[in-house]
Amino acid sequence: MAELTSFSYQPGDSLLHHIDVRFKILFIILISLMCLNLYFLELGILTSLLLGLIFHARLSLISGLKELRYFLILLFLIFVARLLSDDGPPIIKLRFVSVSIQGLHSGILVCWRLAFIVILGFAFISTTRPSAIKAGVQWFLKPVPFIPEKKVALMMGLILRFIPVIFYQAGEIADAQKARGVENRKNPVYRLTKLALPLMRRTFERADNLVAAMEARGFTENRTDPELALHKRDWISLVAVCFLSIFLMF
Amino acid sequence: MNIIEFENLCHRFADGTSGIEDINLNIREGSFVVIAGPNGSGKTTLLRHLNGLLTPTSGIVRLAGIPVEQNLLRARQLVGMMFQDADSQIVGETVYEDVAFGPENLQLDRSKIRSRVSKALELVGLSDFADQRPHLLSGGEKRRLAIAGVLAMEPRVIVFDEPFSNLDYPGVKQVLRHILALHQSGHTILVTTHDLEKIIAHADRMILMQNGKIIKDGIPADIMTDIEAFGVRKPCAFRLGLEAESWLS
Repeated sequence: MAELTSFSYQPGDSLLHHIDVRFKILFIILISLMCLNLYFLELGILTSLLLGLIFHARLSLISGLKELRYFLILLFLIFVARLLSDDGPPIIKLRFVSVSIQGLHSGILVCWRLAFIVILGFAFISTTRPSAIKAGVQWFLKPVPFIPEKKVALMMGLILRFIPVIFYQAGEIADAQKARGVENRKNPVYRLTKLALPLMRRTFERADNLVAAMEARGFTENRTDPELALHKRDWISLVAVCFLSIFLMF
Repeated sequence: MNIIEFENLCHRFADGTSGIEDINLNIREGSFVVIAGPNGSGKTTLLRHLNGLLTPTSGIVRLAGIPVEQNLLRARQLVGMMFQDADSQIVGETVYEDVAFGPENLQLDRSKIRSRVSKALELVGLSDFADQRPHLLSGGEKRRLAIAGVLAMEPRVIVFDEPFSNLDYPGVKQVLRHILALHQSGHTILVTTHDLEKIIAHADRMILMQNGKIIKDGIPADIMTDIEAFGVRKPCAFRLGLEAESWLS
């Protein structure tokens, strides 16, 4: 089965790889919220730091951005919308359309903030094992009443595991139908139905087999808890992120 | 000593159709048994009773003298099961996590889990793939990962359901080599197949099933004569009046 996405964990030995997942989740929330209130200079500092860390972790940002090509189109549309909708003295005027310097500023700023948050997510996903993300979510959900944190973590894990398999299956079904000339049918509803029904049937069959396989390996909800341990570098990184946040905010 | 005992085992599915009927069978510890039969003959249904994935409509299944239903977790630890579709059997997001799944279910402590996982990965030659995502493995590697997942439970019996389906020649040889190594290390091996060619040279007993019943049971060479009448192709060597030859030789 071929590689399906580069937007996933890539083994490595960098600082980003070694920070405890709970701290990483905390940092992402803190920095994402903070960056929504930052302007060009502060965003520039944060972005440089993030790109430095990504470079240090030897992650391929280009392949990550390739995966995000549809998101980049969305960003472009947001940019155009902001560009044309903000009031201010026009710098370009064409009949009904006017572009202001304020619109340009606000378009760049909004897109930069959104892109920064997505790249932050890319750095997180690429440097954190799926099992660690699962363990972190389980740890954060533990004190929340009425939420079975172990079940939620297991479901997350299975979704992460089976998304590529389902995509692969969808590709196989689509290829098999193309081989039988489905492209000659112009009705998209017909084509979607013909793809979705066998895919769902296969997915449910697979789910059935998965349940049997899990039971055969003695599945129980009371399993060994995931291993999470804090080190000195985690506390140092927490202090660093706190100082950085205070510096950038004030 | 019999590690597996089926006594008057019958299983009917929810729609009333019969899966297996009146199976009486004992399997000695350490033996290598091939269960052959055409599709729908009841091979998988029979094996799924071994670790409680199916429960008998009537009759009893004992593992090392104790009924399966009396202690399901013991049964699942004692009998490791390899499914036909290795992709559906792999539940971890990485190779390491998949092998750790069984020991985590047994609630072992982390150091024990680590040692079992490393040992199992080493045995199947996947130590270098520990951080790899399973969907990127080849068919043969996935099958070996499924074997490692079973080995980490430290079972005494290992059941292989059509272990060679969809494998290329090197993949078949690798999996066969692992099956033989497991047998040599003292595991009881049960293999279901409708294609005897690849495995029969190594089996010390063959059971032939048809329509949910055991038709023949004995040493492979003794019961091979009219096997094709029951929907299973006779291996080439037997057709030519020769001794079965291993795919590894």
